[in-house]
Amino acid sequence: MPASTGWGRPEDLVENLSSMDTTARLKALRDVKNQIIGNKTKKLSYIKLGAVPRVVEILASDAEIPLLVQSAAAVGSFACGNEAGVKAVLDSGVLPHLLKMLSFGDNKQVVEACARTLKMIFQSSLAPRSEMLVGQRMELLLNLLNSSNENVAEVAAHVLARCCESVEHQQAIVDAGGMQRLVTLLSGTIRRREAALDGLAALVKNNPQLSLQLAAMEQGRPLALIIKFVKDKIPRTRFLACMCLANISRSCPFCYPQEWDIRTSMLAVIVKLLEEPGQVGEESPIVLADIVANNEELQRAAYKFDAIVKLSALLQRESLPTKQLEGILMALAELCSRLEESRRQLLDQDPGKNAQAAIISALSHPSESVRVASCTCIKSLSRSVKNLRTTLSDERLVFPLFKLLDDPSPVVQVAALSAVSNVVLDFTPHKSVFFQCGGVSQLIQLSRSMDPMLRLNAVWALRNLLYLADMAVKEKVISELTVSTLTSLIHDPEEMVQEQALAFVRNLVYGSVDSVQQVFAEESAILIAVERQLCIACRPEVCTQGVYVLSNIAAGNELHKEAVMSFVAPVSQEGRNPSPILRFLQDMSNPQLRVAAVWCVMNLSYPDSPGAVTRVARLRESGIEQQLQKMVDDPCLDVKDRVKTALEQFTGLANV
Amino acid sequence: MSSSKKVYTKDEWQRKLNEVKIRKSDMNRLVMNYFVTEGYVEAAEKFYKETGTEPDMDLGTITDRMEVRKAIQCGNVQDAIEKVNDLNPEILDTNPQLFFHLQQQRLIELIRSGKVEEALEFAQEELAPRGEENHEFLQELERTVALLAFEDTSSCPVGDLLDVSQRQKTASELNAAILTSQSHEKDPKLPGLLKMLIWVQKQLDEKVSYPRINDFATAALEDPAT
Repeated sequence: MPASTGWGRPEDLVENLSSMDTTARLKALRDVKNQIIGNKTKKLSYIKLGAVPRVVEILASDAEIPLLVQSAAAVGSFACGNEAGVKAVLDSGVLPHLLKMLSFGDNKQVVEACARTLKMIFQSSLAPRSEMLVGQRMELLLNLLNSSNENVAEVAAHVLARCCESVEHQQAIVDAGGMQRLVTLLSGTIRRREAALDGLAALVKNNPQLSLQLAAMEQGRPLALIIKFVKDKIPRTRFLACMCLANISRSCPFCYPQEWDIRTSMLAVIVKLLEEPGQVGEESPIVLADIVANNEELQRAAYKFDAIVKLSALLQRESLPTKQLEGILMALAELCSRLEESRRQLLDQDPGKNAQAAIISALSHPSESVRVASCTCIKSLSRSVKNLRTTLSDERLVFPLFKLLDDPSPVVQVAALSAVSNVVLDFTPHKSVFFQCGGVSQLIQLSRSMDPMLRLNAVWALRNLLYLADMAVKEKVISELTVSTLTSLIHDPEEMVQEQALAFVRNLVYGSVDSVQQVFAEESAILIAVERQLCIACRPEVCTQGVYVLSNIAAGNELHKEAVMSFVAPVSQEGRNPSPILRFLQDMSNPQLRVAAVWCVMNLSYPDSPGAVTRVARLRESGIEQQLQKMVDDPCLDVKDRVKTALEQFTGLANV
Repeated sequence: MSSSKKVYTKDEWQRKLNEVKIRKSDMNRLVMNYFVTEGYVEAAEKFYKETGTEPDMDLGTITDRMEVRKAIQCGNVQDAIEKVNDLNPEILDTNPQLFFHLQQQRLIELIRSGKVEEALEFAQEELAPRGEENHEFLQELERTVALLAFEDTSSCPVGDLLDVSQRQKTASELNAAILTSQSHEKDPKLPGLLKMLIWVQKQLDEKVSYPRINDFATAALEDPAT
């Protein structure tokens, strides 16, 4: 027996859990429970020793109150905070026993202990959530909401909240009368109303219809109550009320009067809650992110409430819980998504390097969702050219970020790619870093992925990499990507990928004559692919990028211009043919496409080049001048201006 | 500077104070809140009998809470842990910092009673894994184990760990966690009000000269500075 603990050998304790002697059984049970509470190492070692099924057996077949209470508590502790425990507990078939006790148990202590254990199990994603929302189980949960024991009512609301995984789940609970019951609980004791807020928040999350339903319920009385709780004196109540209202606002903005004012007052509350200890502080950042999402004005208000300073200070704390770290990064990502002053404040802080270091180190966090959050944060920060030039082109950032392109999780890969897209969009002298770390090869690999999201984001990143890039970069990328991969990307089954592939070519040929020359490699395979796509594509966004490719080629030398001419104004045996570009000039769905098409015509009719006169004559024959004349009053100012210039060029050359 | 401030005499001030009406029942609730939060069960019971003020929590739970507190103050940390686990196993399961501090206190008690071998074994088996999980815990653990290195702990740099105040600190942290788990505010309202009084007096000092309260135990009004 180890002297330090006074407990028996673990093996003996486990053996005693099945002892025939009740006193010995109870003692072993208590000892195991007291050893594992708070101690993850012990939990795992007792799970290995096979303690869980023995503990569950006591719950299933004993009748004495102390044994039932202790075994329920031990099961709960096994399931608390570690997935292996939840799995072991569920595998041992404890759920029906717990539910039976909750339905028929008449001892307060036993019922409470079972309720707590149920709550522990349902904090894990392993819990059989959809199984809870059918038949008797759903009925049981809703009945427990009304329990006179507030611990039990709280657990019922909590379990219901965790079961809201999909719109169907939410609707099933509402159809069974769950929303009404939760609303009734709002007027109960502190714990009942907190449980109700938790449950209601889950019911309306990402669900516009139920958000509206809750907001409009009973002439807005429950809603008014929730709004009142935003200013409650108890931090947890304030937090839950904010979460509930943020979920309503996010899924159904402006669905009740004064929603805007309430969001602003919530913001002040939630920023203060960031520094609260425990669960409230841990979960407040993600609610803050929800409140300010897609809203520049609220993001500015948050900035004024010092949200960035507070989040950045929290970020630099040691050993943050995973959930809090993720939330902080997501909140910073939202707050920095549009406002340069917020980005500056985050990166320039004294000692600013630490916030940045914390974001970078989160890139290698064991949790998938933290890695995604940190990529999202970097993406927001990299929307600023100034940051790109300085802080974000740093090797310490680029290396770990590119490493994530190799991440086992596709969700992380996509997040990393969209951050990389911004980071490589560069005016920086650090372009070589991307090659050195093998990041470019990685992007090229991903552009061949079977997963359309990965392919899309990889091509997007490559497109940005080529933006205003010098010749050496372009040559390196194209030789590694290969002409044949590029042509198949141009013909990708996904239209979004086609668009990005064409935009890639557009950046490839932009600039010098040498750049333009790239599309003529391998018997003009790239140009042919672009032209073919232009003939068959329907989506204006795809065509726009394709037309810009032609336009950029038409800015090259005489040979380049001629190559474009043979597509734009084809000559055949029968003489003149209508130009394929006419279709784009006439497209009224998208002014961007018309702008691109007029640019192309302008570049072809640019007067200071030798073949201009002949080209203008051919364009005229193809009906282009006639079409341009119809466009002098185009509703889009951009189009109108360019049409004017093009027509002037036409007239100028006709009079030569 | 101070001569330009308006001066209130004690009489004027007293008159103004008398104009503020405070309900007796509010005062009583404030006192009761202090008793139950701090765990003075008997006082709370007597106060209830005398004034009829309802305590805002079940007095039975206070007794449990006080037993836990007493156990720590006597150095019976393991006893306290078992009691808390019976009260609500979630408290220590979801609060790693508190759990660590209790284990640390247990180690301190072992060292205090001179059980060196036992203390080392306990530190290795129970505390070291927590230190691996959390850097801050590791530092605290190292500080505690350092106690073993000194013959005379009364003059050693980490001797404060053996103080009664360390037990108090641990006991308060646990007390607060139990209160939170019962959805009760962890601090009584009275100290908050006192802090507010100090703040308000500071604000007032800049504007007027008035009879301050300097001694909070007697709440006597001083003569205004002129």
